[in-house]
Amino acid sequence: MADNTNMTMRDREFALVAGLLAISAVLMYVFPSIAVENSAGQIDWITLPLVAFPIIAGAVLMAFASMQPYRLKDRIGQPIKLISVVFALMMLGISSGLLFGWLESIDWDISRYNRYELEFEYSWMQTIGVSWHVGLDGLSFSMVWLTTVLIPIVMITTWEEKMGWYHHPLILMMGGALIGVFVALDFFMFYVFWELTLIPMFFLILKWGGEDRRYAAQKFFIYTFTGSVVMLLGIVTLYFLQPSSQALIDQGVLTGRTFDMTQMAIGAQESANADIAWLGINMQKALFLMFLLGFLVKLPAVPFHTWLPDAHVQAPTAGSMLLAGVMLKMGGYGLFRVCTTLFPEALLEYQWLLLTIGMVSLVYGSFVCLGQTNLKRLVAFSSVSHMGIILLGIATMEPLGFAGAIFMMFAHGIISPLLFAVAGAFKHHYHTLEIGSMRGMAKHSPWLATFMMFGWMASLGLPLLAGFVAEITVLIAFWKAFGWWVILPGVTLIVTAAYYLWSMQKTIFEGGDDGEMPESLGGAPAPDISLWEVSGMMLLAMLTVLFGVLPWIFFDMMTGYAYGLFDGILLNVIGGGA
Amino acid sequence: MSGAIDYALWIPVLPIVAFPIILFLGNVFKGTDAWRGRWKEGGTIATVVMGTSLGLSIWLIIGYIGQVTGHESVGQVGNWLSFHMVENGNLVSYSFGFGMYLDHVSVMLLFVASFLCFLIAIFSLGYMNSDPVNLDRNHRFYAEFLLFCAGMLGMVLADNFLWLFIFWEIMGLCSYLLIGFYYERPSASYAAKKAFLTTRVGDVFLLIGLLILWNLFGSLDFSVVWAEDNIAAVDAGTLKIALFMMFVGAVGKSAQFPLHVWLPDAMEGPTPVSALIHAATMVNAGLYLVARMYPFFASPAMSGEFTDLAILIAWIGGITAFMAALIAFVQKDIKKVLAYSTMSQLAYIFTGLGAALWFANTGHEEIALLAFGASMFHLFNHAMAKGMLFMASGSVIHEMHHAHHEVAHHDGEHEGHGDNDHFDAQDMSNMGGLASKMPITATAMAVGSASIIGIPLIGGFWSKEGIVGAAWKACLTPGGAWMLGPALLVLITAGMTGFYMSRMWFMTFAGKPKTPVANGVVEQTPFIPIPLVTLTVMTLGGIVFAGFEFVHWVADGHAEMHFSHVLSGIGAEMSHAFLPSGEENGGLIYLVTMLTIVISTIVGPGTAMALYGGRLQKGEKAKPWLAWLVSLSARVRKNNHFDNSTWANSGLAESLHQRLHFDAWYDSAMLKIVVPFANACAWFDQHIIDGAIKGIEYGSQEGSSVIRRLTTGSGRDYIMMAALGTLAIFLLIWGVA
Repeated sequence: MADNTNMTMRDREFALVAGLLAISAVLMYVFPSIAVENSAGQIDWITLPLVAFPIIAGAVLMAFASMQPYRLKDRIGQPIKLISVVFALMMLGISSGLLFGWLESIDWDISRYNRYELEFEYSWMQTIGVSWHVGLDGLSFSMVWLTTVLIPIVMITTWEEKMGWYHHPLILMMGGALIGVFVALDFFMFYVFWELTLIPMFFLILKWGGEDRRYAAQKFFIYTFTGSVVMLLGIVTLYFLQPSSQALIDQGVLTGRTFDMTQMAIGAQESANADIAWLGINMQKALFLMFLLGFLVKLPAVPFHTWLPDAHVQAPTAGSMLLAGVMLKMGGYGLFRVCTTLFPEALLEYQWLLLTIGMVSLVYGSFVCLGQTNLKRLVAFSSVSHMGIILLGIATMEPLGFAGAIFMMFAHGIISPLLFAVAGAFKHHYHTLEIGSMRGMAKHSPWLATFMMFGWMASLGLPLLAGFVAEITVLIAFWKAFGWWVILPGVTLIVTAAYYLWSMQKTIFEGGDDGEMPESLGGAPAPDISLWEVSGMMLLAMLTVLFGVLPWIFFDMMTGYAYGLFDGILLNVIGGGA
Repeated sequence: MSGAIDYALWIPVLPIVAFPIILFLGNVFKGTDAWRGRWKEGGTIATVVMGTSLGLSIWLIIGYIGQVTGHESVGQVGNWLSFHMVENGNLVSYSFGFGMYLDHVSVMLLFVASFLCFLIAIFSLGYMNSDPVNLDRNHRFYAEFLLFCAGMLGMVLADNFLWLFIFWEIMGLCSYLLIGFYYERPSASYAAKKAFLTTRVGDVFLLIGLLILWNLFGSLDFSVVWAEDNIAAVDAGTLKIALFMMFVGAVGKSAQFPLHVWLPDAMEGPTPVSALIHAATMVNAGLYLVARMYPFFASPAMSGEFTDLAILIAWIGGITAFMAALIAFVQKDIKKVLAYSTMSQLAYIFTGLGAALWFANTGHEEIALLAFGASMFHLFNHAMAKGMLFMASGSVIHEMHHAHHEVAHHDGEHEGHGDNDHFDAQDMSNMGGLASKMPITATAMAVGSASIIGIPLIGGFWSKEGIVGAAWKACLTPGGAWMLGPALLVLITAGMTGFYMSRMWFMTFAGKPKTPVANGVVEQTPFIPIPLVTLTVMTLGGIVFAGFEFVHWVADGHAEMHFSHVLSGIGAEMSHAFLPSGEENGGLIYLVTMLTIVISTIVGPGTAMALYGGRLQKGEKAKPWLAWLVSLSARVRKNNHFDNSTWANSGLAESLHQRLHFDAWYDSAMLKIVVPFANACAWFDQHIIDGAIKGIEYGSQEGSSVIRRLTTGSGRDYIMMAALGTLAIFLLIWGVA
């Protein structure tokens, strides 16, 4: 009887894996010839492979899994994980191909305002002016590549944990939604994907989180949703502030307006050239603030940051890694895509506000870190602190500051998943997150201790690792813009080193010849991390070194983007004023 | 030169590539016999790599000295980071690159660094691998050691301040890792953290200084910032602030007052670490940075603008030299004596640099070059001598450990590392009479001490005289009155150095063994004698370097070293040192020179002999060149011994034992100010900011439950509500109408 069941199940597995992989292979082969081409002769690599495919594939896998009898849960989980990882690696292949020019020859370093590579526009909801408009530029491509690199690494790191069969497909869906945010060039689409990212994360926290997961998931969802709703108000206001265009009405758009970001950017640029504030300075300021609130909650910036520690502490490792690695960057991305591009005069007016919030986040965040005893809360607050640097970079109103802030988004996006992988492994193997609960981890878990030290050092800005490039570029621009206020970030550098070193002293080191194990381990032998966890962390570590030693791979395109932004609109605004 | 240049990049790259290789191999092969035996847990790889780097360095240096004058910039990689800034409404493009810069100073430091890295690697083969407590973790040591060497060599070769800073931080990381090598000890873990945080404070100052410098020049390349036209175009006040901030960074890295507190604790690391990082190379990084500020001070456009900064540098040097020497008086731990000695000697170099920079900035170019050359030469001598001294002390400690194990074993005690905690193998009051038992070590230590003290004709003498002379010349020059302080301090410290270094030597090597362990010491570890002998020869050969007009060569970019005129060079140096010169104030300077020689060679060591000298144990015979020293000390003690117990028990001595309380002040500042502030911030965040959110949550739930009470479920209530509502609507309509 039991043998019979096993035979059926193995066939089912085999059929699933083989079938899906075969379909994917066929799709990949056929795709270039059936895909749409744009005016520049490029194939649409974005819409189907990077956005639609992971979402649909993830949904299909989950539907398939839900149709299986419950007793097969653990067995079906393995092939589903495998397929998810393969799909994620395919996406990584595509985005790396775009990066290195294997798929299309694209010069990412070209600096132009409001110009995008792989730009595709499909009309969608013509009656209200919504189109499926996607494109990549120096700002968004680094975020897209970051997402495609993190999804498989997250899957690999959490391979062994018993997560059931929904976990990995959910991560896949999350990846698709995130990429959707970064490629969207239409406000409607942008908002849809922005909110769409909340849903998989909500379920990740709710289903696989810690003890207080219900509270944390709710708080995370409602808090960030509230910020997003204010942003929605801004989007709708912006929509209706456009002058109604007869040409669009003739085309069938009932309102005569469009949600398209690129059209609005053209309008903003024309106004700046004419020395007029686009939409009027007061409306611009109001819009800026509405959008800013949504982005500040997401970033997160003090005082809208308190959802983050709870979310991180309760979230499972994969959730934390993605949350810190990519989701937070949506806030920074939005600031660049919307606030600097469309509302430059307001940006100039509110430079002081960004400086203040950024500085408070940076300095206050680091002091709060110093007072934490929970490892994940400590790392969460360090994220708050580092995101402050992004605001400071924007506040400098220098191309170097902008490029540095974007690079900080990127570098933090590689380093902080490593930090959370370490914290997650810590919790997983030692069953506690209290910093004072143990000593001498280096003796018993040398691999975990090594990655912890590596990640901690990367996060405090050790040169030849990615974080240093971000910090030094922002600081150079910061001195030029604000002079001796740079002492405050300087103090933060010291405090950051202090809390990281203190937490290492109290966990990895000391403990005498045998180390002191936490009570939560209950006398069991001290574990080291598994090969899967080592692999994931090692990949992140190697990427950190790679972008620390060869930062130009992405920094050049960020410099190009910043140059285009300034050349296209900001120089006019700074010089002329509105 | 052309051949060597092509491979020059490998000098720092080889060790940095070998670092992960050793880590990986060590993890895979840990515990196997071959890895422990022939491969020495990575030590073989480390020694071969550092030997190759040394070979490449020497090839480069020989080519350079033979064929190049001035400087040479090589191997530029243009666009590591390129970006734009807004200037006057336009976008201007900038970039950072990476290249190598060779001039006399960097060539000298390249030699010092690669030579000492190589020798200390050999030393470690004997020291680390034969200590059972290090078994199966030496690969971590050798890997971190190589990463450090890469950092030092990279810093010395870098052609711009950004990469200097990058490698500076890499060295700081390795210092942290290596001080905390025995991480299971709370004292080691604490010392590592203290070192990192203290130097981090300095590093932040340095970083801000570099930000200011970049914003002044638009670049951090040496070739740009040292160009006379560029310097003339920038604001002097801002440049001075930038240089001051950079100097604070140097103060942190080179353990000068007030950021000196980490160096004594750093002795928690294994002795090769102390030798390399905290004597011979990393602490020289701060001096290198200050040396690289010379062109700014020497620039005619900035003449007279930076004199107060130069005087500050000299004062910090003087204060630290004196303070460190004073604390060294009461140290019992042999490594701590050497740590404070390092602090003191580095301070000498800072004083010399301060004087040189002052002369440069007041237009006295020739004296400036002499003072600068003397300072650099002292750096050279000190690195060689102090590296050797630490290795020798390591040899002593190692053999004391061995002997302790023998003694403990015989008594049937269980052999384990924990037992050694009761017996401090580093405490000099457990030693004594080792001159006969450890001849090579005793000789090395004697020669090294002599160099540090400045005994005439041996290594450090030539450079120390130059520094003391420069300081006094400065205070006698018009406008240099403020230099009197440092000049006096370095003079007095010379005598103090004579005392505490001799005290160290005599307590360890002369007299009778104070414990049975000391009695059982035998000099037997392989590999250790090699670097000791090599460096003894180098130190004794200081006179030859002096004869090469090394001092002049290292300072003046256009000078050449005259190898063929060694003997006449030596003669010139001797006359310069021992005969009064005809220049202005020559007589007074001569007096000062003689006074320095007297108190450092006779008064200081003599006092030490009177207190700590003594004949060896009956039947023990030391080598002839040591035997006379021991018997001299015995005779001095017999005739001049005095009771120093009032000094030893005084309040001053107590303060010195507490390191003049600086460490305690810094610790309590952290504990009483920073930590409570952090806890207050954490409380504020959880209860006030998040409290507001929780308030909203609670309020909305409460509000909701209040409003919910309207849905009573009773039909009568709903009819009444509908009736009231309709009435209200009618009233409103009537009111409006």
